[in-house]
Amino acid sequence: MRGAIILAAIIALSAALSLTLGEVHLGLDALWQGLWGGDGPGALTIRIIRGPRVAVALGAGAVLGLSGAIFQMLLRNPLAAPDVMGFTAGAGLAVVAALSAGLILPMPLVAAAGGLAAAAVVAVCAYRPGQSVAPLTLVLVGLGVAYTIAALGAFVVTRLPGPEAAEAQRWFAGSLAARDWGHALQVWGIGAVLALALVPQVRALELLDLGSDLAGGLGLRVGRARWLLALTGVLLAAAGVAVAGPIPFVALMAAPLGARLAGARGATGRLAAAAGAGAIITVLADLAARAAIPGLQLPIGIMTGILGAPYLLWRLSREMEKGEL
Amino acid sequence: MLLLAVAAALTLGIGVRPVGIAEIWQAFAAPDPNNPAHVTILSIRLPRLWAGIIAGGALGMAGTVMQALTRNPLADPGILGINAGAAFAIVFGSLLLQQADVGLVAVLAFPGAALASLAVFLLGGGRHGDAGPVRLALAGAALNALLLSLVSGVVVLRADSLEVFRFWVVGSLAQAGERPLMAMAAVTLFGAGLALALAPRIEALSLGSALSRGLGTRPGRVQAGGLLAVTALTGAAVSVAGPVAFLGLMVPPISRRITGHELRAELLVSASLGASILLLADTAGRLIFAPAELGAGVMTALIGGPVFVLIARRLLPGGQT
Repeated sequence: MRGAIILAAIIALSAALSLTLGEVHLGLDALWQGLWGGDGPGALTIRIIRGPRVAVALGAGAVLGLSGAIFQMLLRNPLAAPDVMGFTAGAGLAVVAALSAGLILPMPLVAAAGGLAAAAVVAVCAYRPGQSVAPLTLVLVGLGVAYTIAALGAFVVTRLPGPEAAEAQRWFAGSLAARDWGHALQVWGIGAVLALALVPQVRALELLDLGSDLAGGLGLRVGRARWLLALTGVLLAAAGVAVAGPIPFVALMAAPLGARLAGARGATGRLAAAAGAGAIITVLADLAARAAIPGLQLPIGIMTGILGAPYLLWRLSREMEKGEL
Repeated sequence: MLLLAVAAALTLGIGVRPVGIAEIWQAFAAPDPNNPAHVTILSIRLPRLWAGIIAGGALGMAGTVMQALTRNPLADPGILGINAGAAFAIVFGSLLLQQADVGLVAVLAFPGAALASLAVFLLGGGRHGDAGPVRLALAGAALNALLLSLVSGVVVLRADSLEVFRFWVVGSLAQAGERPLMAMAAVTLFGAGLALALAPRIEALSLGSALSRGLGTRPGRVQAGGLLAVTALTGAAVSVAGPVAFLGLMVPPISRRITGHELRAELLVSASLGASILLLADTAGRLIFAPAELGAGVMTALIGGPVFVLIARRLLPGGQT
């Protein structure tokens, strides 16, 4: 309970910071007035520019964090995140490809198809007949798939005319520029539905954490539970990608950070904490990306790359000390 | 060698304006400054050819040295972040120095590559003896992501030009005319000579450090020499062609097939294979969406990504790590 309060407080603080800071600095009082009406500068900023952006960042971060936590618990490996394994890149590639082909399709569906395709490729490539697949094999194969997808992305981007190509390139690195309330509604809506779908699966996740033999002995249909969880995880990640691009490393970092901030135990607590931490990381990284250098908006993906890569290195050295690599 | 000759001829001949072999010969034998085809060959495609040979050869050899030193089939200057280190040093250096002189800034590629290779060696657990391939590959991927994020950040700062971004993040031969080709050719030759000289000792090292000491090899020195060669080769390649990835990954397995396990021969074959593949990748990249160009780095990554997957799935058989 205390953990939940701490997380909620940090989320509120990050959102408030992100709403007040930027090209134009606003006081909290101006924001407050803007929220309740009137047409001062605060109203414009919160309703049209920063409000939807922060809402999208919170939603996308939460679904990415949730997805990361699912895969890390499912594969019982802190490196097994959908962004490391190329699932988010697959979703992003599908969206960029659909946009460049001029297809008018609902983006969440396109992203979901891309994410599922990438996950299927990783699973098929890592599969060896008659042997169980080690989580690290999935991670490594996924890394190769992510490299390939990045190259395919550059391939698609090259075909676009100049300005659109620059835009697509930015988006493919993860970007929250020019989001509106429609995007926010979309990611929150899909996220809520998927989170509800996750509720009945939490027990399966807890049982799988005991090891698949024990889980099977306790009456769980292990194979089916795994596929359902993986499906939910990919769809969550795709929902985030559809509105914010394949922001790297958020899913990787969210669950461990959430567990540390909230001290959560049990599958439900860890999942909720991961969603909260993902939202915090995304909002703060977006704030840093647009406000760190005056007059310049970096794509958020660059910022999470700068934050996330050292985390991955640190994680690796920890894993090595524990003798797991 | 034959492959290299064919690749070179294609690089010169094919493009938005196709030029026949006879005319290429004419351009060299009796250059006519008023003939547009001759100008294209000599001032645009010839530098590209040199850049491709330097960068491709250097990366092929660098990958071979790294795979032999680490005994890791996933070692490649691109994947382990050494390319990115060189690119970051150049991009960041030219931001700080506001230096227009390309040659001077290009020198920064070497400390950049050296620091990155040292970092990945230490992070990958090189001190404790054998670095697990998984750990090395993941540490490299993380370092690569970090440095390329920084490069993108700096490039976005300086100019919103997608061309510049593509060159420094993905690698291409499109700016060959503006790169310091002569100096980097010399550095590549130095790195190649060093690698060839060290080859027998690197082979001895791969027998295991105790045994190689018995044979009179000092492991620390050989490793340091190998890292120096990798640094020189990678730095030179990045300063002419940007951080082209995956050449060093896919070339060594092929040349091992051709030469067997003799490192010197393998290095030479890797050099010509690397150059050929890069030139072919560049030519293909120019043709696919002509007149738009697909960077050579994109093409190598399109082939290299699946190669990485193939190697990775063989690496960890069974349920243990």
